[in-house]
Order: sequence, then structure tokens, then C-alpha cells
Amino acid sequence: MKQQTWVRQYAFHFDSSACTGCKACQVACKDKHDLPVDILWRRVYEVTGGTWKKEGGVWVPAVLSYYLSMACHHCQKPICGEACPTQAIYKRDDGIVMLETLACIGCRYCEWACPYGAIQFDPAGRVVTKCHFCYDYLALGEPPACVAACPMRALDFGDLSELSKKYAGTREIFPLPEASLTEPALIIKPHRDAARASKDTAEVANWEEI
Amino acid sequence: MSLTAAKEWPLIAFTLLSQIAVGAFWTLAAAHLFSREARVRGENEFLALPGLVIVAALLVAAAALSFFHLGRPKRAVFVLANLRRSWLSREILFELAFLALVVLLAFLSRRGAEPTALIEGTYILASLLGALFLFSMSRLYMLRTVPAWRGLYTPLSFFLSALLLGPLAAAAGQERLFAFPERADAFQDVAGISALAAVALIVLMTLLFTPRIGFLGTKTATLLEFPAQRIYPLLVFRLLFLAAAVLFIALYHDVERGGLMRLAFVSAGAAEVLGRYLFYAVYSRIGV
Repeated sequence: MKQQTWVRQYAFHFDSSACTGCKACQVACKDKHDLPVDILWRRVYEVTGGTWKKEGGVWVPAVLSYYLSMACHHCQKPICGEACPTQAIYKRDDGIVMLETLACIGCRYCEWACPYGAIQFDPAGRVVTKCHFCYDYLALGEPPACVAACPMRALDFGDLSELSKKYAGTREIFPLPEASLTEPALIIKPHRDAARASKDTAEVANWEEI
Repeated sequence: MSLTAAKEWPLIAFTLLSQIAVGAFWTLAAAHLFSREARVRGENEFLALPGLVIVAALLVAAAALSFFHLGRPKRAVFVLANLRRSWLSREILFELAFLALVVLLAFLSRRGAEPTALIEGTYILASLLGALFLFSMSRLYMLRTVPAWRGLYTPLSFFLSALLLGPLAAAAGQERLFAFPERADAFQDVAGISALAAVALIVLMTLLFTPRIGFLGTKTATLLEFPAQRIYPLLVFRLLFLAAAVLFIALYHDVERGGLMRLAFVSAGAAEVLGRYLFYAVYSRIGV
């Protein structure tokens, strides 16, 4: 997992089938960036759903549950940057969506716009904040903190085109939006339950901690 | 990640005051450009001065209140930096341009100049800039990730608020503040436009807005704070206030009953405050 020599678009890979929901990625990110309470640049969503189903004369549980570890997806069409009036949000040559906090006026329109909850308002600083792919670690040839922390190796990173060759996957599983909206730099290996999940049968169960 | 309507009072004030200002200016402009009797009088521009000053004051007050929405208001000067992509940047540009032309008109009027092509042209240009101001104001909410704001309701409701409240403000303040005191009854017609706009708002809200409450069925964190049960009573109150405004306008016959116009303005204003509150309350984006 060394730094790519030439990257057009940094991206994350997430293996939902391997994730145990331990939140080590979330904690590593929070620790590395010294994030205050209520700000999570990487969040682990607990998706649950299902009910009892009658099979013959027997009621059996037909439930589902899986995790999604989500940060900023450094979209190829970042809607946060479109909404920002000050150009505080911009895209680097390597595809990382950066936020210049000194230019942020705290209007929070980017927060309204981002469909991944990646933009997080800091009440103390009165500006928004977001994941920057640990670009400082990348410069040292190290992986992002979240990737390094995952004990299940459910997270990986690299150039989007290289990741696409390495992993088969999708960018759209419940409750994520259509990828065409922002073209996220993300590949997900879905959990086996994901195909059964929809807004009618499943929900995010841990909103209060995100 | 909480974004509740209760936190958006600065934006409710900014959008509504701006829309009142634009609507009132359109009324003044229409009176100036289409009233033949007024145009032949040399004192016309002088008489327009109070109205123009109030429109400018409303715009400045709206802008000042919007600063309370910003986390870092001292950096607001950066807000014009993304004119290429951000509708918020464009909104502020058009607002400043509109305000500048209103101030220019007030200056020209103060000099008591005869109606000239310059003044008429400035009225027309400022009216267009006011429209662009409102259009960009609505476009910035029409995010492709926020279905509740994406539709036609957003621009229509913003323009209708201007058409409802602006003329009513002009009509309500006609005797003391706005132009043409001798021709106060001329504003009866514009009040009629306001009544039509109010009816249109009611229909629009019923057809377009209420179905969007269905979107509240989505299980997103932002909606947990504002359940659908709290929306319906506010919708009913808004309808009642709009109906009251239409009633007051209908009862208005002559300038002697100017108090009715002020009541109509207050009722319509209350309806629009509720409507704008609901607009922010139904925010819910796609995704997480």
C-alpha cells in the first residue's frame, strides 16, 4: 500500500462483506486528526432491517444487517465544490477534494449538498471540515489512517483505475445515492444482505452516533 | 449533522425581506413606467424617493441579517469568488448590482430630475437584476441531491412571495412612505395582483408542496428532528393566513380603508414566514 507514483484520482475500496463494524477506522481518523466530539470524517453506518417471514407453517427471521464505512469519496463531480461560494473546496490534481478552511465562511451549503454526509461543521471553529485522504501520509508513502487501522483489511486505497482492475464492486448500495449524481471515487464489495436492503426494508440504525 | 429549520431564521429573514424589496421595487417600477399620469409630472422622481430608500434599506437589512447565518461573517468578502459555478456567489452579485441601481435611482430622484431615458432604463435594468437576484436565490437551493428543493416549487414560491408581499408592502405604505401620495388609489390594482399571487400560492402549495411531505417517509437523520405530524398544523395556519390576506384585499375599496391593506400585508407576511419555515423544515437530501 505504498503511495502511487502517479495518480489521477485517489479512491477508496471498502469490503462491506468483511467489515465487522468495529469502528477502528473511525477512531483512527478521529485520533489522527484530533477531531472534536460530534465530528467524524469517517463514519460507520449500521444498516439493519427485515422482519419475520412465514415459511410453510413456521415463522422464521428474515433479517439483514451490514456495515458501511464511509468518508469523503473525493467525487469526480464534487457537488460540495459546486455549492461553495468561496472556492474553499477544490480538487487537487490527484483527485483529492480539499477544503481550505481559511477561505470557508461557514455558510454550510456544501453540507446541505453532499449526499454522503462527508462535510462536517465544526461549531468551535465555525467552519466546515472534511476528510482530506490523509494527504500528508500519502506524501510520506503511508496509507490513510483509516486504511491502516482496519483489522479486517476491509479498506484499501489507490488510483481509481487501478482499484477498478483489482476489485469488482459497485458504488451504489443502500442507503447510498445514485453514483451518477457526484461520481464518487469509491468501490464497494457489497455484503450479501445488501441486495435485499432498500428504504422499505432497511434503515440506518445508528444515526445518533453519526 | 443536524440542520433544522429553527436554525435558519437568518435565511428566512434574508429571503423574505429580499423578496419584499424586489416585489416592492417592481411595483414602483411599474407605477413609473406604465402610469402615464405620473410620468408627465416633473416631481415624479422626487416622489419615488421614499419608496426607493425603503427598498434599499430592506436589501441592506436582509444582507445584514444573512450574516447571522455565516459561521465566519468577516470572511463574507470571499463570497463572490466562485461566480463560475456557485449560485450563491451569483445571488450575491445580482443582489449588489440590484442594490446599486436602486441607490442610483434614489440619487437621481433626489435631484428632482425630469423623467429621462436614463431613469427609465435604470428602472428596467434594475427590475431585470431583481429578477435575476430571485432566480439565483432559488437556484442555489435546487440541488440535485435535495429532491424536496429540486422542483419548480422553489423558484415559483420565491417569485410568488415577491409578487404577493412586494405590492402589498407598497400598497400598505402608500400614504406615508411610498411614491405618488396623490394617487394612492393607483395601488389598488397592484393589490389585486397580490391577491392573485396569494391564490396561486395556495394552489401551488396544495399541488406541489404537500405531496413532498411524502418524502418525509425517508429514514434520514435530518428528518428525525422534524416529523410530518408537526408540518400539517403549520400548513393549515399558512392557508388560513393566506385566505385572510385575500379577504382583506377583497374588502379594500378605497384609500380611506388603507388599514385593510396593512392587515393584508401582515397576514400575507405571516403566511410566508410559515411557508419559508416549512421550506427549510422539509430539507432532506438523498443518501446519508
